[in-house]
Amino acid sequence: MTQNLEITNTRLNDAEFDAERETVLNSWITGSDVDFRAGVARQEALQPEMRFSCALAEAEATGRTLLQPRAGVALIREHTALLNGLAPYCDVLPTTVDAYTRHNRYREAQDGIDKSRAAGTSLLNGFPAVNHGVEGCKRLVDSLTKPVQVRHGTPDARLMAEITLCSGFTSYEGGGISYNIPYAKKVPLADSIRHWQYCDRLVGRFEDEGIRINREPFGPLTGTLVPPFVSHVVAILEGLLALEQGVKCVTLGYGQAGNIAQDVAALRSLRKLANHYFLSAGYEDYLLTTVFHQWMGGFPENEARASAVICLGAMTAKYARATKIIVKTPHEASGIPSMEANQAGLQATRQMVNMISDQNRIETPEITQEIEIIEAEVHAIMRKILKLGQGDIARGAVMAFEQGVMDVPFAPADANAGKLTPVRDNYGAIRVFDHGNVPLPKDVITFHQEKIADRAKAEGREASFKMVVDDVKAISASKLIGRPAA
Amino acid sequence: MSDQESEFKVVLGVIGADCHAVGNKIIAATLISHGIEVDNLGVMVSQDEFIAAAVEGNADAILVSSIYGHGEIDCQGFRTRCEERGLTDIVLYVGGNLVIGKRDFSAVEETFKEMGFDRVFKPSVDLDDVVRLLKDDVYSKRLPPSYGHNSGAFRGKQFDELRFS
Repeated sequence: MTQNLEITNTRLNDAEFDAERETVLNSWITGSDVDFRAGVARQEALQPEMRFSCALAEAEATGRTLLQPRAGVALIREHTALLNGLAPYCDVLPTTVDAYTRHNRYREAQDGIDKSRAAGTSLLNGFPAVNHGVEGCKRLVDSLTKPVQVRHGTPDARLMAEITLCSGFTSYEGGGISYNIPYAKKVPLADSIRHWQYCDRLVGRFEDEGIRINREPFGPLTGTLVPPFVSHVVAILEGLLALEQGVKCVTLGYGQAGNIAQDVAALRSLRKLANHYFLSAGYEDYLLTTVFHQWMGGFPENEARASAVICLGAMTAKYARATKIIVKTPHEASGIPSMEANQAGLQATRQMVNMISDQNRIETPEITQEIEIIEAEVHAIMRKILKLGQGDIARGAVMAFEQGVMDVPFAPADANAGKLTPVRDNYGAIRVFDHGNVPLPKDVITFHQEKIADRAKAEGREASFKMVVDDVKAISASKLIGRPAA
Repeated sequence: MSDQESEFKVVLGVIGADCHAVGNKIIAATLISHGIEVDNLGVMVSQDEFIAAAVEGNADAILVSSIYGHGEIDCQGFRTRCEERGLTDIVLYVGGNLVIGKRDFSAVEETFKEMGFDRVFKPSVDLDDVVRLLKDDVYSKRLPPSYGHNSGAFRGKQFDELRFS
């Protein structure tokens, strides 16, 4: 793939941004309603309880954990009713965007809106924010009582950012790597990174006007046996890219893997590592928070079993002191949930979080060891990325993916090597079965190999791709580890 | 893909704007391990891309996946378009979370059978069972017309066996 290696991690200048903005706003008819000054005025008029950054800062200061569902349907009235039905059970609201809009296929999104109207039920898997435009999005935000975030999976989300931030959304999920590698097929990585520099710069421009918009890189990536160091490197890179464009409020994410010690270690190390890289790069004026995603892989069909998966995530997140939890529903196995199922997931999570919140911090030798391993892995890869980019992480990131130095398991993107293969160890922690071209330290590779060998021995079989597939299917079949049938 | 000429050729992919890659990779690996030649188009495949690949590769079957809920929109007219392109007796399977919301599976199955899909699968289906059915279905399409079988009864029974898995 030909990459635009002109990409650098430098702040977009005003002239360049303004010229680009004209093209962005002309890319679909609703772009013509975007007016930055009006957007700033609208954001200024929002009460603090409608601001994501205030909710996060308050949670960070008091140690509370915020709960957030996922939700989005095709039509404004239905979507408003859905969010207001969820609001009593959560702290911050989502607006999950449909898959056509994520690929800038606004014509198909419009067709989905029309067919949904005719059918009397949503045929889209999310809210087509671009098609509804500033007017529609404003109407939505005006009918809510809690902060609302755009959640999607869009490699080029520039127009959506312009429309939603102008309408009063106060948080924007995504990033140039995390919304390409797991969400696209043929988008060159340099292009999506560049498009997300635009989104970050737009947030930076709001910040220049005294308006704080939260930015959240997407942590879980493919949600399937992703080793913590892989998602941590992406989170750190996207945090650095955002800070460079003037973003000040960053939430970094991690998706539950299933082994409690590894998950607690992952979230604790994420915070420490991110602060280390942000401060080393010279950024000091930022608020860093974390988000823990309950299990992103396949769920059991049975709703009671699904609730157990949700509760394991809730417990781990609270032990790891995540600022926010993204909550799953007992309908996860069958796709888009009903409002009632979404409420059930939130209530189960709240109960578990409440029961864990007063308990003491857990320290175990396993957690300590996992933190050491993750730190060694992240440092090794970050070193290589900085080397490849000759100090520039944007260029380094593009080259790292090209060479398989960074590699996300099970990702659809052509820009991803797909050689790194994970598998669970005998305790369910995610280990690296085949490291591909990822430059892990030798002792770390040995550690992974020994852990996998222990499991292979316990199961009386060789580690293989079959074992990996068994692991991918395990949780939906009611176990953490994909053991052979006895 | 094996070096040997395989007895079965299928086109596999995830339809529409769906980028869920995990199941696709697992299905491909399973089919290949059962000696089936797979042209895996990966994620975000249009109807036309599926059909063009099937025509070009002279495939026995097209296996369509959809997990994101837009399957009902994306799959409309698939069988008709196959016939227009001369694929008159190709086996068409679809599987995944095919509609928005928790709808009774038998209703979903009916919707997609009306669209012309030969079989409709849940995400929880055992892939080994799918392989068995696929081979059976391809064989029965290859039989001369005079050997016609009672496909309705045959299929119904096998489907019930799958359901609990």
